[in-house]
Amino acid sequence: MDLQYSFSLAKLWSICGAQVIMLLSGLVLLFVEIFYKGKSPERRLSTIGWLTTIAMALALGHVCNKEWNLDEVVFMGAFSMEKFSAFLVAVVLMAGIMASILSIGYLKNNKIYRTEYFLLLAFAVYGTIAFVQAVDLLMIFITLEIMSLGIYCLAAFLRDDRLSLEGSLKYFLIGSFGSAFLLFGIVLIYGFTGEINLTKISSVLARAPFQHPMVLVALAMIMVGLMFKISMVPFHMWAPDVYEGSPSVVTGFMATAVKAAAIGVFIKVMAVGFGPVLSLSGQPEFYANALLGALGAYWKPILWWISLLTMFFGNLIAVNQRNVKRMLAYSSIAHAGYMTLGILASNDMGRMGVLFYLFAYTIMNIGAFGVIYCLDGQERHAQTLEDYRGLGYKYPGLSFLISLFLVAMAGLPPTAGFIGKFYVFAAAIRSGYLLLAALGILTSVIGAYYYLRVVYMLYMKDPVREISIPGVSVSTAVILIAAALAVIYLGILPQGLTDVADAAQKTLSLVF
Amino acid sequence: MAGLTEYVILSAILFGLGAIGFLTRRNALIMFMCIELMLNAVNLSLVAFAHFRVDLSGQVLVLFIFAVAAAEVAVGLAILIALFRHVKDVDITEYNLLKW
Repeated sequence: MDLQYSFSLAKLWSICGAQVIMLLSGLVLLFVEIFYKGKSPERRLSTIGWLTTIAMALALGHVCNKEWNLDEVVFMGAFSMEKFSAFLVAVVLMAGIMASILSIGYLKNNKIYRTEYFLLLAFAVYGTIAFVQAVDLLMIFITLEIMSLGIYCLAAFLRDDRLSLEGSLKYFLIGSFGSAFLLFGIVLIYGFTGEINLTKISSVLARAPFQHPMVLVALAMIMVGLMFKISMVPFHMWAPDVYEGSPSVVTGFMATAVKAAAIGVFIKVMAVGFGPVLSLSGQPEFYANALLGALGAYWKPILWWISLLTMFFGNLIAVNQRNVKRMLAYSSIAHAGYMTLGILASNDMGRMGVLFYLFAYTIMNIGAFGVIYCLDGQERHAQTLEDYRGLGYKYPGLSFLISLFLVAMAGLPPTAGFIGKFYVFAAAIRSGYLLLAALGILTSVIGAYYYLRVVYMLYMKDPVREISIPGVSVSTAVILIAAALAVIYLGILPQGLTDVADAAQKTLSLVF
Repeated sequence: MAGLTEYVILSAILFGLGAIGFLTRRNALIMFMCIELMLNAVNLSLVAFAHFRVDLSGQVLVLFIFAVAAAEVAVGLAILIALFRHVKDVDITEYNLLKW
């Protein structure tokens, strides 16, 4: 393929329009934040919050209308836009929109009126979508850092709360440690091939002795760096602490958007840089790339064990948790394990299943953390299992919503979680990972126990202490109900989204 | 004159020292420094590769990594100072409210 690195504003707009919108709106909001005083701190907070939401909605509209309809992979140096990226960008922006609307209510509940929150969120979303679109290993590193720096600050946003800062510092230390590994891997690949662009790397590697130890070390280090971000066992140590410490809405955002982006980039790096998904395209150079499949003999067994450990560890430790946020942190580790199954299967159904899973997981996870912040009132006011006892009759609406989201995460039909798990496991079985799929289904039974325990606490137990929560704002309620409807709709009629996800993953194999 | 292999070995040793230091030291500031050591080890091998491949882009990338490392330290130290106000210690074993 001829890689044109020409530059024009029209091309920039059509490829990176969402990034441009997020970056510019972040910079504009910076000035709005300085000069706009507002009538009251609450007014000011919600104005800036809504402006951020509108910017993200514009970016989402641009992705869905313009970028999705690009029927080819378009490169502009470091970034590409094809349906695969467009899908993930849309997921990230959707998570961003939900998070920023929920944040308005969250910050008001906690009486925090510092509006830089939304700037950090806007820049974090910018970094995340740039990360998804990057096809250049160095750009992957830089955008990963832009994303992470925003998230570190958001995680530490409750400045007067020691847990929030403690979680954030742990995230920062371990996150930087992980990205140093990623960087070393990138530089080794650069040293071996002389290229940092993923597509060029694969074509150089295919003609070189790619089983050279240097390539294997580089591959391992890049995988480790990304696994830190996805929080796969044994690189998960930060996740529970950070998820518990951070503000609930931020937890929801980083459990979904960051994980979706990191998994997307993981698939892209493995499929485009080091893998043979390219055999369909019929061009001679791609047949050579098919040889790269031999690298799978090195990374697939490792990923097999990591997938197994992630599923078992996440689900088993979650059983022991009393704090619901921390329990969901372990559950999100387990979900990463299920998604790894889809990556490991590395067939069309696996990649489609992972994309579907990410979409469904994003909706139900942010929904669950949204309900947690509502039941919490103020952060850490009521978030243990004991606090949830008997709330089902006092707050029927919120309890029903969180029960629905938890049932969806447990993967029971008719919810989106079931369909996602179904595709991922089916893909793994189709690729011959029968044992792993069976063990995975076993762990998801363990998972159902602790999800349903929360539901049991809500409806079957008497309250031990009085919990009173402030009213739920209309915007929060709308987001939560929309998420609940989407979870059920996708569980009953998944066809639309599976078609979209399938079209998205096909672009990886057809056009790169 | 040292060849490429020596440079790569040196940078791998520096990277390893940084990683070992990160894993064994308990002082948060020293852990920051260890991360910086790891990033600069990477820079060293990047410069060496770029020099021996006669490819200028590698040299340019080093500047990007510097910028990222600086931004990282700015954020990290800010978080550490905010936490220091609560804990009055930089020993990470004192940051133990969140566990299991």
